Amino acid sequence: MGFLSRLFARDREDTLSVPAMDGMFKPNTRLDEAERVLDLNCVDNLAAMPDGLYASGGDRLFRIDPDARHAQPVRTFEGDVTMAAASPFGPLAVGVEGGGLELLDNGAWRRLDLPTELSSCITAALFGDEDTLYLAIGSRQHRASNWKRDLMSRGSTGAVLRYTLSTGTVDAIADNLAFPYGLAFLDDGRLAVSESWRHRVVAVQPRRKASIEVLISDLPAYPARLAPSAKSGFWLALFAPRRQLTEFVLREDDYRLEMMATIPPSAWIGPDLADNGCDEQPLQAGSVRQMGIMKPWAPSRSYGLVARLDPLANPIASFHSRANGTMHGIVSVAEYRGQVYAASRGAGTLLRIDTDEAP
Amino acid sequence: MADGNALMQLRYRYFSGRLVGEILSKSWIDSAIPVVALVVTTAIMVFLIPGLLNTAYIADIARQLAEFGLVALALTIVIISGGIDLSVGSMFALCVLAALTAMNVLALPFLAALGMTLGVGLACGLLNGMLIGYLRLRAFITTLVTLVIYRALYDIIFPRLASAIVGTTSDSSTWDFLGFGDIYGVPSSFLIFAVIALAIHITLSRLRPGWRLRAVGGARKSAYNAGIDVKRIVCMAYVSSGVLTAIAAFLFSARLGSTGADTGIGMEISVLTAVVLGGVSLGGGRGSVGSAIIGAILVLILTNGLIRLSTPGSVNQLLLGLILILAVLFDVKWVKNRGKILSKVYVSPTYLELPPESRDDSGAFALNDRLGEVELIGLGEVEGPEDVILDRDGHLYTGTRHGTIVRFLAPDYVKSELFARIGGHPLGLNFTKDGHLLTCVGGMGVYKVSPDGGVSKVTDETNRSWLSVIDDSRLRLPDDLDVAPDGRIFFSEATIRYEMADWVVDALEGRGNGRLICHDPSTGKTRAVLRGLIFPNGITICRDGQSLLFAETWACRISRYWFDGPKKGQREIFASNLPGYPDNINRGSNGTYWVALLGLRTKTFDLAMRKPAFRRRMARRIASDEWLFPNVNRGCVVQLSQDGAVLDVLWDSKGENHPSITSTCEHKGYLYLGGVSNNRIGRVRLPNSDPEWTTWDDYWGKG
Repeated sequence: MGFLSRLFARDREDTLSVPAMDGMFKPNTRLDEAERVLDLNCVDNLAAMPDGLYASGGDRLFRIDPDARHAQPVRTFEGDVTMAAASPFGPLAVGVEGGGLELLDNGAWRRLDLPTELSSCITAALFGDEDTLYLAIGSRQHRASNWKRDLMSRGSTGAVLRYTLSTGTVDAIADNLAFPYGLAFLDDGRLAVSESWRHRVVAVQPRRKASIEVLISDLPAYPARLAPSAKSGFWLALFAPRRQLTEFVLREDDYRLEMMATIPPSAWIGPDLADNGCDEQPLQAGSVRQMGIMKPWAPSRSYGLVARLDPLANPIASFHSRANGTMHGIVSVAEYRGQVYAASRGAGTLLRIDTDEAP
Repeated sequence: MADGNALMQLRYRYFSGRLVGEILSKSWIDSAIPVVALVVTTAIMVFLIPGLLNTAYIADIARQLAEFGLVALALTIVIISGGIDLSVGSMFALCVLAALTAMNVLALPFLAALGMTLGVGLACGLLNGMLIGYLRLRAFITTLVTLVIYRALYDIIFPRLASAIVGTTSDSSTWDFLGFGDIYGVPSSFLIFAVIALAIHITLSRLRPGWRLRAVGGARKSAYNAGIDVKRIVCMAYVSSGVLTAIAAFLFSARLGSTGADTGIGMEISVLTAVVLGGVSLGGGRGSVGSAIIGAILVLILTNGLIRLSTPGSVNQLLLGLILILAVLFDVKWVKNRGKILSKVYVSPTYLELPPESRDDSGAFALNDRLGEVELIGLGEVEGPEDVILDRDGHLYTGTRHGTIVRFLAPDYVKSELFARIGGHPLGLNFTKDGHLLTCVGGMGVYKVSPDGGVSKVTDETNRSWLSVIDDSRLRLPDDLDVAPDGRIFFSEATIRYEMADWVVDALEGRGNGRLICHDPSTGKTRAVLRGLIFPNGITICRDGQSLLFAETWACRISRYWFDGPKKGQREIFASNLPGYPDNINRGSNGTYWVALLGLRTKTFDLAMRKPAFRRRMARRIASDEWLFPNVNRGCVVQLSQDGAVLDVLWDSKGENHPSITSTCEHKGYLYLGGVSNNRIGRVRLPNSDPEWTTWDDYWGKG
């Protein structure tokens, strides 16, 4: 089936088109203009708890006091932290690459067991009730830090799991997802899941395995975490832009396989969290610096994008850092004490977004 | 795997598909399809009608072609001007009437009769021309009206003179020779037609009136803005149409000696079919004498063949009409899509395998920030300083993309002045011994600027290579130059397939599209010395005066070529497997050479260079802004010894001021830096260099 559809898609020009940043995704510079609260290397997942804003960065977990611009290390783990999730009932869950789940409950850490293939790429978690934790597993094949290889091997081994804390049972409620990266509850009780490699947000039944419904598709960038908003709807962080060249390489099996076999991932064609200025990185025609200026519309590897979604997951506003900006690779957003914070993993910066002008 | 690679290399060396794009980009491609149609039609007719091809038939066709072809040329001129002349048939009839009246009825001398016929044609054409050109009436409706008027005149006059015309015959021998004579078997009327067609061809394609005509037909408003007298040109097109029709009518009269009520009826439709079939575009501006003649022959063979096959006349007209519709349809689609097809197939990549990259971060090419402390010159004042050079007095010269050469004044280079206005983007710069500044200008050629700023052309063409489809006699992208001790100028032409603005696209091809060319001022001759070079870029004459170094950018290597002396004609690799793409090469102090690397190799691009089919699909399927490029956002400067060993490397680690460096010039302990897509010149102190050394002295000695 896949072979047939690809055979027929081969000469259809439109299959390579990437949605333009337009409509609700009309570019602006609001992420670059946002207040930079503090620098935190590799800041990743934000989790708002009553006693502070928690953030993961590298192999550590921090508690942040944004007003004092201070990050207090909470714990260092044996692997990179892949996610952090706060519960309204008190506990905090942390995913550790290669180490599975850690739960902070009443001031004590507790390790939760998971099968090995599920423990290296927990990309997001969401507490359902006091005994239920929903987990997004990005990939069963690759570790979270190896996300680029998962994308380039057209990975679709991700899943959404229901984990029962008291018994330790794991039930898959959605399978064969292409890198699920964010979780949030919809108003009707279903789960909204951002499926990154398919550039869409889907709805999943929380109780049993059922067919999934696409809420929004054809996003112009790869979606990362979802976060609820106190007003209504969600925040969606999108961590890297889609490019025609990437879509093209994904179809070029010969080139792609040789690239994956012989070239280090940092030098691959494909999206990235930041333009780190590495000499080995490929360049696209529109990104040539002209007269000392990088054009904002340049087809860059990285981009900064946060979208505000309504309760049905339609975008209603967006915040950008364009090719000439630096606040790229936004991986998570959190509301804390009435303010909106975004983590730019590319720049290693925690941002406070000014949402007043948002329509 | 190795065998597969070898096969792929062979395939892309000989069948890379380059010719498809090049042929499509030729202007004669418009006529190629009608020629094929003509050959096919002739073949079918010869097959259907046995014994068709004999001398009598060919002579008959030739005589008909002389008349029909002249009217086709008349219509072609009008259509190229953006109009249409439907009155050619009636005009033809009137002129026939005039010619026969003059010869038979009035018994005027031959020349007087010719004059009278041409006069009638001129008057008819002038009426059309005045109405359409000066009074700005619609060509279609106007000539439709004059068609009716001229026909009415004919119908009024002809019956009164009919018996007189038929009753007498002229005894002029010239008249008879025109109608029936031949020279070595070639009909006389055909010879006249051939001479006229040649003259019109030269006028249309080589002379000013022809160019203006095309300009008016192609874009009337632009032609007007360019200062062309549009009204006069349009009027003259109709006048020439009238005169050419009159000549055709004169030949017709001489051949038949009589006329009938139906002379010229329906002629406009068959001539129009011929012209459009030949490839003259109804939209105006496109078409040639050749296409008109091919179309005319096609229609003649078709109609004559159909008559021989005893098809009824009405069916003939029907077929002709259908063919006209099809031809117009094809013309519209062709004009609309030709550019699209061309843009899809023109980029034709080939196989290029570079040796595995050997750069490691601890070796000679370790990243440093030696260019971080650069002093900036002319920030925001110069755009696109591809090359920089200093003269004897220490003034700094550079070209800009605005088509000028700017001079920054020593010693602080704060003040600048416009040194010369060239018109194209000056790239490589070098001084001759007598202080003239030579420059390679993108899209123009090699130019010379005298010390007082006077600009003169040195050369803009070279010998054309016989097997090249593209006309490579014009210089498309001369890039860098240097002057040998005897005054000969050696310069590189980076690519013959792309214009200045698309220079990086040549990287996607990776073929040897460039040349090394020599201009000898003593003879004024320009000759290509080496061909098939992969984007030859920087050139510098070695200190032995017998050899030169040239960089092949996409091949990441520098070669040495001996143009004189015992090793004359030999070529050897000077430095290969560079970590980036070398641009200009310049002499440095202590016998060294400076090489600017305009970009760095990336593993993904190197891999793509080994996969031509991948690059071709990429060029076809994704927007050009999204194409994979070599990394030209990061460059450096390399100092090489006279044996090609790497001595020193200077980087700008942040890439803020000099992301890509295309040229360097050492002068009194400083190194000056230029970049083709930058808007500043940098200079950096060289701590270990000779503070008295200048490029000028190294070339031409002190004094």
